[in-house]
Amino acid sequence: MLDTLCINISNRLNTGILILDNDFNIIMWNRFLEVHANKKDNQVTGKSVFTVFPELPQKWFERKLSSVIQLKTQSFCGWEQRHHLFELSHSRPITTDSHFMAQNCTFLPVEVEGEVERICILIEDVTDVCHYQTQLNKALHELALSNRIDGLTQAFNRRHWEECLAKEFSRARRHNHELALVMLDLDQFKLLNDNFGHQGGDKVLVDTAKSINDLLRLGDIFGRYGGEEFAVILPSTDLVGAEEVAERIRQTIAKSTVDYQGRSISVTVSIGVAIIDEQDSRYEDLIRNADLALYRAKAMGRNRVCLAEETLDKKTIVA
Amino acid sequence: MNAFDLTEDQQDCLQELINVAMGQASDQLARYLDTFVYLKVPSIEQVKSEHLIDTLNQDLKETAVVSQGFFGYEGIRGEALLIYQPQDSNRLADLLGYEADELTFDEQIIDLSSILTTTFLNVFASQIDNQMSYSAPRLLSANLGTVSEHLQQQSFNWDLALKVRISYQVTDYSFNCDMVLLIPEQAIINIKTVIDRILEEF
Repeated sequence: MLDTLCINISNRLNTGILILDNDFNIIMWNRFLEVHANKKDNQVTGKSVFTVFPELPQKWFERKLSSVIQLKTQSFCGWEQRHHLFELSHSRPITTDSHFMAQNCTFLPVEVEGEVERICILIEDVTDVCHYQTQLNKALHELALSNRIDGLTQAFNRRHWEECLAKEFSRARRHNHELALVMLDLDQFKLLNDNFGHQGGDKVLVDTAKSINDLLRLGDIFGRYGGEEFAVILPSTDLVGAEEVAERIRQTIAKSTVDYQGRSISVTVSIGVAIIDEQDSRYEDLIRNADLALYRAKAMGRNRVCLAEETLDKKTIVA
Repeated sequence: MNAFDLTEDQQDCLQELINVAMGQASDQLARYLDTFVYLKVPSIEQVKSEHLIDTLNQDLKETAVVSQGFFGYEGIRGEALLIYQPQDSNRLADLLGYEADELTFDEQIIDLSSILTTTFLNVFASQIDNQMSYSAPRLLSANLGTVSEHLQQQSFNWDLALKVRISYQVTDYSFNCDMVLLIPEQAIINIKTVIDRILEEF
């Protein structure tokens, strides 16, 4: 009576029940597995689990079960580590892209008079959980990315770029490394906007950002500082190296033109360069120095690179 | 003295039960893992929920933590935290008897955690005529920075827990890890009842 009841219930569970002997032969399974494995009872009873499910990683599976038998403890295998052990169909075949059922498996020792004689494997369908968790992770990843990126130019946005500078600044201080900062501004951008409209201006920003990005090394950190102002952090770079990078950027942009609705727009940039100085106690000092140099480049007629005065003094002394 | 404090007799009895369980567990583990496993004398103390992070933090910087819930009859239940330091984990697959490319690092520490927790608690449970069931072990985080964040964001629904800390050492593999069992308030009362019964029987 109780047996019939148990069989009835186990056949209606939304969980797979698979019972093996110590030689990994199948003693019984419930209807959940019969349906999702798409095999008949008489095709599996008495057969080795590795014959019925050839996809099982045999060595790993045997070792896993040996801990259950020897230590008489239950053991687990979750979908986050292994998406599935058994290749089974699942209950969301239409609305998810999962080919096989994602599974949480529990391995239970079944003891008779103190010795493990059977192993009961419970298989839960967690395709749903897996599907939503994967979507959530993807959304979080995209969110984290869009939180750091300037939508128009695809350079880092001001906030993230400044966080990077703060980190690089304290790292350079700690390890006594060099650190250079290049700030650049598009020349007469307002005029350009007046002549070509804001969409023309946007196209210039996008193309300029792309040309700058193409000139940088891995590890350089490029951001949009303001409207038409960009900035590049150059870790472990001295003044000579930074000036070279700045000059290369200036020349590349001066030489190229931006195509906009059949017209070509010429644009130049003014650039200020500063390197970390012993007197700089905060990263903002570095920005200020580069910014002052940038204003000098503007005042001296634009389309040129100026070095920060503090660093310039040092350069003259060394020379 | 509050309702969750253990008397000296209760503390001694629990200590003794744990010592015996440790001996048997280390014997079983040694056989299964085919190497000596040393379990260091445990510390048993109460911890307030607001101090939990500090007691885990101690000398740990980058750490992985695996959590596994357990429950037995008579309302004995709690959570086991297994705490690993990354430098200890190079030869885990080897220790577990798997091929290194058969499973990821996450899976290795989850598997080992489950083995250490369930082996110890099963022996402990059998001493008090009990039997344990377990939830699936979960990796809380691969480093303590995020574990602290994870724990700090929780408003716990317990103020006080009984904390049992046991250190595992596998010298052949120069591997160490800590197992911290945390048993919350009501379950402390239940475990005290069981201990009192054992004390009476002697």
